[in-house]
Amino acid sequence: MSELLIKNACVIDPLNGINGDVMDIAIRDGRIVEDVGSSAEVIDADRCLTLPGGIDSHTHVCGTKVNFGRYMSPEDMRAGRTSRNGSMHVTSGYSVPTTFGNSYRYSTMGYTTLLEGAMAPLEARHTHEEFTATPHQDMMANTLFDGNWSVMEAVREKDVKRAAAVVAWILSAAKGFAIKLTNPGGTEAWGWGEDVSSIHDTVPYFEVTPAEIIETMIRANELLRLPHSVHLHCNNLGVPGNYRTTLDTMNLVPDLNSRRQSLYLTHLQFHSYGGTTWRDIDSRSEEIIRVVNASPHIVIDMGQIMFGRTTTMTADGPMEFKLYMLHHNKWSNHDVELETGSGIIPVYYSKKSVVNCVMWAIGLELALQAKNPWQCLLTTDNPNGAPFVKYPEIIALLMSKRYRDQECALLDPRTEKRVPLMAIDRELDWNEIAIMTRAGQSRALGIESLGKGHLAPGAEADVAIYPIRTTEIDPSAQFQQVMAGFSRTMYTIKRGRVVARNGEVIVEGANSTIWVKPRVSHEYDLGNDPEFAKKFQQYYTVRMRNYPVQETYLPRGVCIETEADL
Amino acid sequence: MRVTLETKPRKKPNIPIEAESIIPHNFLRGTDLSVYEGNKQRSLDEIFFITVEGPAVSPDQVEVILKGDTGRIKRVGEYMNAGKIVVEGDIGMHCGNFMSAGQITVRGNADAWLGREMRGGEIVCHGNAGHYCGAGYRGEKRGMRGGRLEVLGNAGDFLAEYLCGGEVIIHGDTGDLPGVEMRGGKLVIEGSCTRPCGNMSGGTCLVFGQVHDLLPTFEKRERTQVDFRGMNVTMDTYHGDVANRGKGSLLVRSGDHA
Repeated sequence: MSELLIKNACVIDPLNGINGDVMDIAIRDGRIVEDVGSSAEVIDADRCLTLPGGIDSHTHVCGTKVNFGRYMSPEDMRAGRTSRNGSMHVTSGYSVPTTFGNSYRYSTMGYTTLLEGAMAPLEARHTHEEFTATPHQDMMANTLFDGNWSVMEAVREKDVKRAAAVVAWILSAAKGFAIKLTNPGGTEAWGWGEDVSSIHDTVPYFEVTPAEIIETMIRANELLRLPHSVHLHCNNLGVPGNYRTTLDTMNLVPDLNSRRQSLYLTHLQFHSYGGTTWRDIDSRSEEIIRVVNASPHIVIDMGQIMFGRTTTMTADGPMEFKLYMLHHNKWSNHDVELETGSGIIPVYYSKKSVVNCVMWAIGLELALQAKNPWQCLLTTDNPNGAPFVKYPEIIALLMSKRYRDQECALLDPRTEKRVPLMAIDRELDWNEIAIMTRAGQSRALGIESLGKGHLAPGAEADVAIYPIRTTEIDPSAQFQQVMAGFSRTMYTIKRGRVVARNGEVIVEGANSTIWVKPRVSHEYDLGNDPEFAKKFQQYYTVRMRNYPVQETYLPRGVCIETEADL
Repeated sequence: MRVTLETKPRKKPNIPIEAESIIPHNFLRGTDLSVYEGNKQRSLDEIFFITVEGPAVSPDQVEVILKGDTGRIKRVGEYMNAGKIVVEGDIGMHCGNFMSAGQITVRGNADAWLGREMRGGEIVCHGNAGHYCGAGYRGEKRGMRGGRLEVLGNAGDFLAEYLCGGEVIIHGDTGDLPGVEMRGGKLVIEGSCTRPCGNMSGGTCLVFGQVHDLLPTFEKRERTQVDFRGMNVTMDTYHGDVANRGKGSLLVRSGDHA
């Protein structure tokens, strides 16, 4: 039995309505409890800001495309090298670091749970292997269904139950966590050399539209009672004028779940552009956020970009090709058999580029205009918008108008006419930041009941203590301290054990992987379905019995079993 | 000031030495420097007999002379910004990485990556240079950006890959793909080469020897006269690499290529 007592913690725990109370937190065997014995180890938090462990609800840190980003960018791997230190592994890389690099850097920022943004089911083994090498965070994987042939056939036949059955079988086989749609239909059209430019275009051969795919999947998701909603990367990412597509998509969404949102729209910054070309691009964050504010069944994340070097990686192959045509730099594109695609290119976001400045402003505008912080979560779509190590800077920008003005003065002067950012005075408070970085994620992902994202007795003992005294600093003026504080925790506690202290990782962790297994009736178990088996015989390079990821790949798997309505 | 570093006999002479600390600037503050021998850190005097003659107040008054078995010493002159280095024998990989000013003379042969991504200054190698001479490192978009690199012997494959500026002159022959991905600057090959300038987008390359397997993606233009060691030489001019809308020029001595 191990016991730990955190004394004098200034706790902000939005899920339990605690806002800045100084209290003690007792931990026994990795869980938060009412109290512990006198022999417990004691940590004095010294009235510093204490939050539940951070949760990133959309990041790309593990899997084949991330690894391909590593191969492609040896110059990136020469940056950010740290040497072996006790139990700490050697790390390297800046925008696509090694798995240990990702894990340690997240850990020193107080993050204890991550959702990998896109995992192709066929390549799930690789993702799970990298999860076990990301020792300080519990991991989950969004599973890609955007171009899945079986799903699109079910959509064509308007058979929601069949679509749900496909999702159930593949989610259990790939040990995934949620449904991810990346440019639904577009990745499959790209296999035919085409793309879709609105949600009502049809996909070649399958004759279905993105709108039909999205709607069917939202309903299938609820039939399966999955913890998270459909996680959507809209069509037309990064195209000037794409806000119309985004608005059309948001108008499609039915409200089907009382506990959480029915659709999670990721990296919305990339989907809020007005104008017709790169020359006249402008911000349409106001139109977008007006709909979000009126739709409590939608949650978005920012997908903020930050200036500097990074690598873009996504399952959206056609979008990456368009980016390549802009930059003529090295690029990669990849097709995943019957499922999806992917692409990667390195980029540099510059303050001299008015397009990049508009993108930067849109991300912040989304967060500042969202009335309800539970509906707009903080991400950079790591590493697409910026590496996650920039989160503290984003927090500081959101909390300080003065810092924003200081940064805006350095932008291309044409930016001001194209974005409303300069007119927004709102400064977020500590509680809102806590919601946008952990509590909101926990609720949106549906992992509150696993004890994530809050600190009530019974919760997982994932705690981050930052060297910030919220009563003594004024974030709007002292934004440098805010940034420094959020970059390095005093203590990061993972499952009741101190894993990082003052910015140094001190122990090798042992994470778990959370996955979902919907229980369906025999009739809808595609394991017995001859039609589904034929797909493997005829088209896949892998046999059906070799396709599922064996449990040995998840040494510490946590399975959420759901009772599906099938 | 003249600093002479003569190698001491080593029990295992094949273990490479990483000596990025050997640049003239560092010797202004004495010879208390360290290098790595394999994975072991060593002080400079464990590896070399050191003699220092004369004073210096600025790095451009410092001349470093390397003698003995220097063929395994890597990264000499990395980030060098002034002064002079003379290597009496061969030198190991990555000599003159990122150097911005000063002069390096190698009297023997140089191993791979001589003068990679150099920005200024001058390197003269009296022997042969290895592969990737004057190139950009793995994944880098820009190689050598300025300065002058001259090799009196031959050079290996991928000479001046990603060349962006400055001048590279090879008196002998080169291996495969010299000037590949070239973006600017000037590359002069007095001997022969194969498949020069693949995917070049800018800059000028002159080949006075034979070109083998000239890439088909170069467009032939009019002939021009070029002065070469006091002689007027007729050159065929090519424009390319058209496969990637390149705007480089490749000049090859007339009638001499297959």
